[in-house]
Amino acid sequence: MSGIRLEGVWFRYGKGQWVLRDVNAEMGEAGITAVVGPNGAGKTTLLKIASIIYRPVRGRVMAFGTDPWVLGERERLFLRREIVYVHEKPILLRGTVERNVMFGLEIRGINKRRAAEVIRALASELGIAELLNHDVKHLSAGQGVLVSIARALAVNPRILVLDEPFAHLDYRRRGKLLGLLEKLRDEGKGLIVSTHDTHLIMRIADKVILVDYEGVREGSLSLLDQFS
Amino acid sequence: MLPEIAEVALRSVAISGAATLLALSWSLPLAYYVAERSSKTIATISEALVGVPTTLIGLLLYFILRNEGPLGFLQLLYTPYAIVVGEAILVTPLLVAVTYRVLANAIATYGELALSLGASRSQAMELAFTTSLPSLAAAAIMAFSRAVGEIGVALIVGGNIRGYTRTMTTAIALEVAKGEFWTALELGLILVSLTVVVSLAVRLVKGLWEL
Amino acid sequence: MRPLYLALTFIIAALAILAAAYAAGLFGGSELRVRISTTTSLYATGLLDYLADKYEGEHPGVAIDFLPVGSGQALQLAADGEVCAVFVHAPQLEIRYIRDGVLEDHRIIAYNYFIIVGPPDDPAGVRDAANATEAFRRIYEAGEAGRAVFISRGDNSGTNVKELSIWKAAGLDPSGRPWYKEVGKGMADTLVMADEMRAYTLSDIGTYLKLKKDGVLKNIELLYASSTELINIYSAYLVTSCMGAERAQAQAFIEFVYSHQDLIGRYGVNKYGQPLFYPAEGREEELARIWESIAGAGG
Repeated sequence: MSGIRLEGVWFRYGKGQWVLRDVNAEMGEAGITAVVGPNGAGKTTLLKIASIIYRPVRGRVMAFGTDPWVLGERERLFLRREIVYVHEKPILLRGTVERNVMFGLEIRGINKRRAAEVIRALASELGIAELLNHDVKHLSAGQGVLVSIARALAVNPRILVLDEPFAHLDYRRRGKLLGLLEKLRDEGKGLIVSTHDTHLIMRIADKVILVDYEGVREGSLSLLDQFS
Repeated sequence: MLPEIAEVALRSVAISGAATLLALSWSLPLAYYVAERSSKTIATISEALVGVPTTLIGLLLYFILRNEGPLGFLQLLYTPYAIVVGEAILVTPLLVAVTYRVLANAIATYGELALSLGASRSQAMELAFTTSLPSLAAAAIMAFSRAVGEIGVALIVGGNIRGYTRTMTTAIALEVAKGEFWTALELGLILVSLTVVVSLAVRLVKGLWEL
Repeated sequence: MRPLYLALTFIIAALAILAAAYAAGLFGGSELRVRISTTTSLYATGLLDYLADKYEGEHPGVAIDFLPVGSGQALQLAADGEVCAVFVHAPQLEIRYIRDGVLEDHRIIAYNYFIIVGPPDDPAGVRDAANATEAFRRIYEAGEAGRAVFISRGDNSGTNVKELSIWKAAGLDPSGRPWYKEVGKGMADTLVMADEMRAYTLSDIGTYLKLKKDGVLKNIELLYASSTELINIYSAYLVTSCMGAERAQAQAFIEFVYSHQDLIGRYGVNKYGQPLFYPAEGREEELARIWESIAGAGG
């Protein structure tokens, strides 16, 4: 199995209300999985569980056929490195764009010179090459999103998880991003993208997971008709 | 040798500076632990103990360090090192109470960011700390300020010995006891200026480090 | 960066600062330290530092460390073995510690007088009293009549102990009376308070002269002095439990002080126009007798 599967997952923060109840879903296998639904219904929570950031309170999550939470820290770390989650609101480190994009590589101890080359190529693809030595303080919201996506792609994960990536992008950049996502899909990456803009995602999604207050349903594009 | 005021001032800075650093060595890991586990108990106790009377700490330490006390064999009583230990204990609740919130926020954002990019737990912790540096520096300054301005510990376990354990605050107390009120006031103003200078120096170092 | 490394970095930094301070001479050096406890009022006159400086000049490698605390605490420190010698002036307390074997080698090194100070108009008529006991009796009566206030240090210091013994000799107990204020403060603070309140109080001559000269005390004056009841005897002791090189030096220092009583007698004359202390030399027997009677009366 090349993706992520949630089996009977329940989740809540602390001892509050349950956010996810008995969720069963598969996502991230080659192709683009769209996760849609109203705000606050639990999309982000679902994504973070899929990214091995949150641990299910009940049930289990399987990543590439293994339950990461029964493993030791080190093995779980290796699994987690294959799945990169990108926050909706970009969390940028103080410094330059280059420093940020380099961060994931730095964590993996990759040689700085090699890393710089990878980053330059990636930056051109995303259209942010001129921004590399800009201070992140001066970026617009849209540019910030692109930087955080570049940072995620720099470490070449098997699965890329994007939480509302289109929210702060203008029309032109959205188009570019869509194109990039299709290209990544063609290269064999798994993509999980959440959005509440269903028209946009309809154009490229291979599969849909609907998260609303009644629960989580999985299906093909036809599911979207019910939602909109 | 230096004029006595300069000597006493430097001694105060050395003692309270060392005390603050010592306290940081155990307070930061503890604060991180509290932030990670959201341990409300430790946090609440810390906040409550921030204002504990310095005389009380001095007394407790006195009972421990005196000849008949459990640590009497160390012969630390009436040495500057006893003051260092006492002041370190004094500022620990302050450091923990102030930094755990900062670290909790850092962990929630930057910690999660680090995890998402495949960082190990210690790498995530390192990031949480480096991004919190400005606030941690501020907390350290506050702790130093409290340590250098306290008198209870210095007087009780230090003994106010000229040339050895006399600090700015105990010197002020002595001048008051001698009836030299103006001298005491001057010393007090020097003490406050000293604290401001140290505060500015720390900010300067922090600024340089960030470049 | 593991928590252990973080902790170690700070600890090393702390030790580095302490080492630097030591190297800079801020924490003394490698001298032999001789600890002597004494009272704040005696220490505050500066006499002890003056004598210690002279002694250290002749004995490099020795540091005389004075711990200025209250009389009670000074003697208790001796009992706890925290100090090697004691310089105090509270015979009633001293005798207990001598009996308990804590102190030995008693030398009387100087004396002066406590004084009664109060408002210049002297509503209690202290100036005309025949002796200190009567002065206190007059203050009591004036207090009861609402014409006077008395401030007591209430802190077990030498001055306080003397004050209480005079009340006792007069057969009076002022505690709890509204005109009798127990403040728990040092001598200088107490005099300032007496000045503010135009009250009577018992003081040592040194602190009073100093504050008067500095112009701090505008509303009180010296009203009564020089009676035997007000004599303040300064004694030096070795602490029995002290041993070795420290004891040898403590002994030598006390010997030094004892044999340089001329220095004691001249101390403060330039500054205040009168001596703060009278040397015991020549009056040892008489002073010893007085000491015993004071000690006996209280102990």
